[in-house]
Amino acid sequence: MRKPPKNTIAADAMKAWRITALIYEVIFWIAIILFAIVTYYFELPYWYVLIAVIIGIISTYLSVFVLPKVRFRRWRYEIFEQEIYIQHGILITSRTLVPMIRVQHVDTKQGPILKKYQLASVTISTAATTHEIPALLEENASELRDRISALARVDEDDV
Amino acid sequence: MSKEQRLHPVAILFNFIKGIRQMIFLIIFGFVTFREDGLLYYILVIAAILILGLVSSILSWYRYTYRIKNEELRIEYGIFIRKKRFISKNRIQSIDLTQGVLHRIFKLTKVQIETAGSGNGAEVSLQAVKFAEGERLQNELKRGKNVDLEQEVIKPEFASYTISFKRLFVAGSTSGSLGIIIAILGGGITEIEQLIPERFFETTVAWVIGLSIFFIVGLAILVLIIVWLFGIAGTMIKYGNFTITKHHEEIFITRGLLEKKQLTIPLKRIQAIGIEESILRQPLGYVTLFAEVAGGTIGKGDDAATVLFPIMKKTEVASFLAELLPNYAIQEEEWTGLPKRALKYYLLRSSIFFLLASIVVFYFLPQFSLLPVLLLLAFIYLGYLRYKDAGYQVKGELLLLRYRLFSKRTMIMYHNRIQSFEKTQHIIHRKQDLGNMHISILGMMGTGSHYFLKELDVEMIDQLSDWYSYRDV
Repeated sequence: MRKPPKNTIAADAMKAWRITALIYEVIFWIAIILFAIVTYYFELPYWYVLIAVIIGIISTYLSVFVLPKVRFRRWRYEIFEQEIYIQHGILITSRTLVPMIRVQHVDTKQGPILKKYQLASVTISTAATTHEIPALLEENASELRDRISALARVDEDDV
Repeated sequence: MSKEQRLHPVAILFNFIKGIRQMIFLIIFGFVTFREDGLLYYILVIAAILILGLVSSILSWYRYTYRIKNEELRIEYGIFIRKKRFISKNRIQSIDLTQGVLHRIFKLTKVQIETAGSGNGAEVSLQAVKFAEGERLQNELKRGKNVDLEQEVIKPEFASYTISFKRLFVAGSTSGSLGIIIAILGGGITEIEQLIPERFFETTVAWVIGLSIFFIVGLAILVLIIVWLFGIAGTMIKYGNFTITKHHEEIFITRGLLEKKQLTIPLKRIQAIGIEESILRQPLGYVTLFAEVAGGTIGKGDDAATVLFPIMKKTEVASFLAELLPNYAIQEEEWTGLPKRALKYYLLRSSIFFLLASIVVFYFLPQFSLLPVLLLLAFIYLGYLRYKDAGYQVKGELLLLRYRLFSKRTMIMYHNRIQSFEKTQHIIHRKQDLGNMHISILGMMGTGSHYFLKELDVEMIDQLSDWYSYRDV
């Protein structure tokens, strides 16, 4: 059995994920409220609203409070000279190996939420797949990008 | 050759037809709208458009020239805005000759030249040139890459396989997945018929029943036979005269009765070799051989992968590969299969849909529960087959995967062709020491081809990941 990768991502990732989740949940709650208003005016049965509210509460609790923590704990990565090793997933864990010589290019990305916490994500593309390491500290992300790109510059194998 | 050349004048016709085809809806629509009043104007406008189309076809033919100069293929085109496209010889990946029916009448060919660049459509497509000219172009552009001139003259014996008529017939008659679908549909329709309000269908049903059951059965059989014959004809047309030849570092495939296609596959662009045994062919011991080739363009083949040979006996595969693709020659050895505890996942996955369907049908329409139950049994069996056929084999740098969706497939690939390796487990997997494996290689159009082996023993996956890993553990 291989050891899981060593490095964790930035702890602020949890905050960023929470905010993202919160935005989605707010949209969801607005929809529920609209639904409730419609129900009130047209005197539809209240059962459906009740169910929607329960779903809303559970999903908000899970996606804002529970999942970011679990997801953060599971997210690991490690960069070796020959390959990249990534682990992620909450219920379904996956571990991915990407050989350096297969890497075509590396990007760093930063949306407004990640920027607020000085975070950035790194995307690694091979000719057939893409892999993302989300939410690293900005300087780590760019350092990682440069390192992978340097390591990937080994002599071209065919294709 | 440095003189500028034009395409064969028939290309004008091709351009013209293509232009009309694009406007066909407009023409029909216009006719429907203006047929009452203004028909005369309509005809005038159409005539003007046709003349304009013809003139522009002629002009664009006249302005389209190509030549080979300084190791480059140079193409100049465009009526008002001149465009030039130069492609250097050693960037050319493949040159395919295709002959449609019209081409064959005039002994012409279409030449498609592709570079590694992605995107749809060939980089250069010469609509119509004389066939000899096409072959000359092919040779000229090929030469100076790595093909030695001297060897060209000596003509070493090339390994070559051609499909026999008998085989082609077998291929056609077993291609009938369509027939099966129709048979199932036919069964379904008789069931649905019962659901439709009786009054609505009373007369029709009475009429059909009046025809007697034998007639209906006869009709159904007739339809099946016709579909089957179409399958045979389709295969014949597509794969007639199928010939595969190895020539230095490339493989040439010629196929097609009506539309003749010639494909070139550089050996080093082959990512994996696959052997497919479809449900109908497996009992007869026949397989289809195909290759996953990197790059290539949409619409080059109608299939996701390139067929290397449409049909052959399973026992012939080894010698075929040994001669054409010695790197991929394999001997059958022990496959590492799935552990017993994986079986339930496979049975559940393949049967869950029909299990639910059976329950629903049983509940609402108990008189028709036979059909879903039969399907359920068939799919449970399919699940068992999927479980039994899944497996892998590692031999040095080669990885062999075997799995089944409907057809059983064996993929042969090299370590250095695999782009990434992934192991996934969900909670129940973890408790039972199982895991899924996901391997990606390069496929057509740069999207990648992905292979999954589900519910492997976790220890086996770890062994495989050690095999794949470039780092010493």
